[in-house]
Amino acid sequence: MKNFNIRKRLLDGLSFGFLLATAYFSIFMKTRQELEAGIFEASLMAFLFFAMGALASLLLDRSGVQTLGGQIFRSSQIRDPQEATPWHTTFWGLQLIVTFAVLVASGIFVTEVSIRELMSEDGFQGAVRIFKGITSPNFEILPKGILAIIETIFIALISTVFAVPVAFLLAFFSAKNLTRGSFKGAAVYTLLRSLSNMTRSIEPIIWAIIFSVWVGIGPFAGALSLMLHSIASLTKQYSEIIECVDDGPIEGIRSTGAGTVQVVWFAVVPQIILPYVSFTIYRWDINVRMATVIGLVGGGGIGQLLMQYQGLAKWPEVGCLVLLITIVVWSMDAASSYIREALK
Amino acid sequence: MAQQENLLEVVGLKKTYPNGVKALKGVSFNVKKGEFLVIIGLSGSGKSTMLRCLNRLNDPDLDTVKIQFEGVNYAAADITSAQVMGLRARIGMVFQHFNLIDRHSVLSNVLMGGLSRNSILKSLFGIWSAEEKNRALQLLDLVGIREKAYIRAGQLSGGQQQRVAIARALNQNPKLLLADEPVASLDPATCHTVMDYLQKVNRELGVTIICNLHFLSLVRQYASRVIALKAGEIIYDGSPDQIDDQWFKKIFGESAKDVHIR
Repeated sequence: MKNFNIRKRLLDGLSFGFLLATAYFSIFMKTRQELEAGIFEASLMAFLFFAMGALASLLLDRSGVQTLGGQIFRSSQIRDPQEATPWHTTFWGLQLIVTFAVLVASGIFVTEVSIRELMSEDGFQGAVRIFKGITSPNFEILPKGILAIIETIFIALISTVFAVPVAFLLAFFSAKNLTRGSFKGAAVYTLLRSLSNMTRSIEPIIWAIIFSVWVGIGPFAGALSLMLHSIASLTKQYSEIIECVDDGPIEGIRSTGAGTVQVVWFAVVPQIILPYVSFTIYRWDINVRMATVIGLVGGGGIGQLLMQYQGLAKWPEVGCLVLLITIVVWSMDAASSYIREALK
Repeated sequence: MAQQENLLEVVGLKKTYPNGVKALKGVSFNVKKGEFLVIIGLSGSGKSTMLRCLNRLNDPDLDTVKIQFEGVNYAAADITSAQVMGLRARIGMVFQHFNLIDRHSVLSNVLMGGLSRNSILKSLFGIWSAEEKNRALQLLDLVGIREKAYIRAGQLSGGQQQRVAIARALNQNPKLLLADEPVASLDPATCHTVMDYLQKVNRELGVTIICNLHFLSLVRQYASRVIALKAGEIIYDGSPDQIDDQWFKKIFGESAKDVHIR
């Protein structure tokens, strides 16, 4: 059985260290200026607090106290004999409550939550003005908007269409059940998986900024960024489908003396084709939604138009575009879910 | 019957899995044409592994002496993958979980038994000659489900699916049919239907059958010969009538009780 010793210490170190650091910084380094000036000292202290927390966790564990980390990452074989104790009276329960309370309090402080600002007359009037503008859409720019949203739909289509064959190929090399066995296969698997994870963790909007510098502002930059993101996501989804393929039919076809290509075509493809189609349609649907956002940073389509009118504070025009986006996204969403349901 | 020749000769069949488990420790037996040979034994005794070694779905250990089928030793070190495919084409196989392609029609599943004799390109486009189709329909007739030909295989009941699987295997025109626990996931009544069809295939078409079973009552009813495996070794080889209580306890262990299926 796995023993999550490092994870236990990490979690407790973070929890205790956070409490210590909050106390320290609220006494000694109150303002942002102070923190910025002494950033080196501050990070050193933060690390020190974390180490102290981890040490405290170890010592508590040794003396038989169940900490939060110990509770969460306990190995399944060793059960707490006092299972009946109400959780909030235990040490880890208290630790959870205190950590969570301090986290929320710091969160309120950091995000500058302010009821006064929310209630201020001036600000509220401004919001009402914008809202009124948006709810009385100016339909004169409708033709322009429709052309732009067609562009958006095509950005999504092209990025999906070009991503599918690439992802289709890569999926076979990033499926665990196919690459397991040889060292080369495992290396390719690890490389592809980490690459796609990294690509996916960077939002398409960041890629759009990079590509709009590379190929210039416009729909092509948007399509490229969505394509990259789609390749990474589809590769992961396709390969997970391949990993779930049932071996039975494969053996059934192999036992008839069929060749490898025939086995793949008759035993593997029928099992993966529907989920593939389903995921691909869903990806197009996601891409339409993302393409509107991508436009905001110069990726073309309706997002770009929206950004222009918003910059000029032309709220009725913005209202018209928002309405258009809502209709298209809603109908794409509905169409995609109907098709996927029918494919099941 | 006249002097029968051996269809299959197995000598010193060994199989060790990568995790070190020795599933077969040197098994030797011959199978004559037309036999209905039943293999019995506890789960884990190596029945399944043995059957799967015969058509090379599992690769036997390199020091296996002989798996000779129709004059060729398929345990030899220099056997090619094309030869193995040829071997599989001449040996049909039926599985516990049927292993049909659920989304394809029953007819299409039976046609797949003929994949090895059709060109790759034609089969990929699903082009089957009228001859092939007729043949498949006749086989469906034989197992009594011709009227289900155009229904998705996944929609049939377990017993019906197993009959489709038998038709698929027969479409290979096999000399030998391997059946790996063909009735283990069926209810007792359906059990007999499927076993009856296997018997029909054996008696009317003259196909030799090697079948794994774990119900002794079925063994007595259908087998012409029995081999019992225990821990990867043959401990009994002979007529089904001679398996008395003593043998039974030897094969299945002291605490085992015979379960009857009627």
